Amino acid sequence: MNAIQIPEVTTSPNVIVSISRLNKSFGAFHVLKDIDLDVGRGEVVVIIGASGSGKSTLIRCVNGLEMYQSGRLTVDGFNMPTEADREIGGEKELARIRKGVGMVFQQFNLFPHMSAIDNVAIAPIRVRGRKPDEAKATALRLLDRVGLRDHAHKLPAQLSGGQQQRVAIARSLAMEPHIMLFDEPTSALDPEMVGEVLDVMRELAREGMTMMIVTHEMGFAREVADRVVYIDHGRILEIGTPAEIFDRPTHERTKTFLSRVLRH
Amino acid sequence: MSTVALRWLHRNLFAKPFDTALSLVVIPVLAWAVYAFAHWILVDAHWEVVGGSLKVLMTGIYPADQLWRAWFSVATLCAMFGAGLGLSVRPGRAALAVAAMVAAAIAGTIAAAVGVSASLLTIASAALGVVAWVAVHHSKCDQRVVLAGLLAGVVAIFVVLSPPGFEVWGGLLLSVVLTIAVSILTLPFGILLALGRQSRIASVRVISTAYIETMRSVPLILVVYWIWIIVPLLSPDTSVPSLLRGMAGYALFFAAYVAEYVRSGLQAVPKGQIEAARSLAMNSWTLNVDIVLPQALRVVVPSLVGQVLDIFNGATLVFIIGLTDFLRAGQMILADPQNSGRTYEIYVFLFAVYLAIGGAITYASRRLEAHLARGSR
Ligand SMILES: Nc1ncnc2c1ncn2[C@@H]1O[C@H](COP(=O)(O)OP(=O)(O)OP(=O)(O)O)[C@@H](O)[C@H]1O
Ligand SMILES: [Mg+2]
Repeated sequence: MNAIQIPEVTTSPNVIVSISRLNKSFGAFHVLKDIDLDVGRGEVVVIIGASGSGKSTLIRCVNGLEMYQSGRLTVDGFNMPTEADREIGGEKELARIRKGVGMVFQQFNLFPHMSAIDNVAIAPIRVRGRKPDEAKATALRLLDRVGLRDHAHKLPAQLSGGQQQRVAIARSLAMEPHIMLFDEPTSALDPEMVGEVLDVMRELAREGMTMMIVTHEMGFAREVADRVVYIDHGRILEIGTPAEIFDRPTHERTKTFLSRVLRH
Repeated sequence: MSTVALRWLHRNLFAKPFDTALSLVVIPVLAWAVYAFAHWILVDAHWEVVGGSLKVLMTGIYPADQLWRAWFSVATLCAMFGAGLGLSVRPGRAALAVAAMVAAAIAGTIAAAVGVSASLLTIASAALGVVAWVAVHHSKCDQRVVLAGLLAGVVAIFVVLSPPGFEVWGGLLLSVVLTIAVSILTLPFGILLALGRQSRIASVRVISTAYIETMRSVPLILVVYWIWIIVPLLSPDTSVPSLLRGMAGYALFFAAYVAEYVRSGLQAVPKGQIEAARSLAMNSWTLNVDIVLPQALRVVVPSLVGQVLDIFNGATLVFIIGLTDFLRAGQMILADPQNSGRTYEIYVFLFAVYLAIGGAITYASRRLEAHLARGSR
């Protein structure tokens, strides 16, 4: 629909995110170690692992919210600049990549001074240069799609957590991303609201959206994931289909982790 | 009823022996002071001197045949004040009654001291303010429209007042117009400085920080005087009026304080907001203008309104560059040998007006604080 960018194809066109030997540290603390991971177009990859294992850091690298020091990361064919590149610029590539990558946060992060519809319309207007009334019409369609048409003119503070998170998903979709990142989208929600957000995500997966999802909802992961990635202390220990990871984990640590989370 | 009063007296004034002793000393002294002051105000003082020099106190040496320009400014200011009120205070019966009483008292005093026409013009201005208050409140119009209107009001005042020349502006009018103009000018500059202080570009960061810290460590009077001297050196061919040079000095000085307020507001914006904006591919301009600043400024509006009071009180220093503000106008009147015995009258009048305006600004700041706290998350 929007201007198609011709990517400098460095990987197979069916691969949208390609990560190889990626390393990331916070100062002296080595968080991600030699990460190798390719995500295909239309694929749903769920990332699981213990708290502090580096799940958030990994998906935040994919839209450049975190910088990495070495390795290679390409998104949509664009090279993500490393920390060293970004010290001398790299803003252009970053912006190009971010236009195609949506992100949904644990804490929603809606803009509190704007109504739901303005939250959804602002980026298309300011970043893609859409006309305000067109952008708002699109925003209203997206809000309708997540079941919030009647709440379009409310401020975030007037919405429940589940509703806010659905607005946040609509806000990301408004940029027509090629891939969506979800960082524990239901962890801040009251239990009775988890379902409504997962329903929206399920629908997205069914429509073929590429997604990388960090979640502790194992039932949901088993249902929607094409592949599950288990991260342990900053290393990918195991990758496989949900059946492989949940039913026949090969590593001792994966088994321990799963037995701990599945008991609840 | 009287037992309640007695109990109140007991609890508040005579609960302990020390309280009792203190009360026995303080109350008579206070009562005597109030009595003496009231007696002086009502019986001994010669208020004709204030009435007779009201034109000078209010407008300085502004030409008498051009006074309609000053009246236009008064009416515009009243309308602006009313419109501002309309955004945050409901024009209820009680509030309107208070406004009407204050306006009537002022108009009555003016009628007695100066004349009926001045009194009628005052009433008309006050009425305009009330109309603006009610209109803005009921029209529910966008804040941005009102703010644009306020800005247009300031420009109109400048355009209408300027033909007789900036040199003749004086009195309370000068103090007020200077305060408003400086308050507005400091905003964009202060915001830029605050953003500059957090810039990723090192030179911008260093320059902004150095500017802010320098201005905050020197006295206002020095900056104003220095700018006044330096401008003619920088542009020897054009003569910039003292008033404009003075305004520049005040704005440059107070912008540093605005920058610090804005910085505290910027720090109050959660990091998640910036990450959300970045993940939507917003550039720094959009991020600041649409996402960060609206949230940051909301936090600091009460402090910024409070600073208007600092600017107003600081405006008394413009005499050092030869301008005649309200305080200076009072001193000029006293310099006339005819008025030599009227020092107390003039100073009590100045005190009362400064107190009333300062009180109004403080009240506005508190109301805004409450108003914004209610509307926030
Ligand atoms: N900005 C930062 N500075 C320093 N250390 C950080 C920073 N952000 C994260 N870390 C550390 O990096 C490690 C990985 O963090 P990350 O948030 O990616 O974990 P996670 O797997 O998402 O955990 P959780 O399930 O608790 O969200 C943690 O030990 C964390 O303390
Ligand atoms: Mg996390």
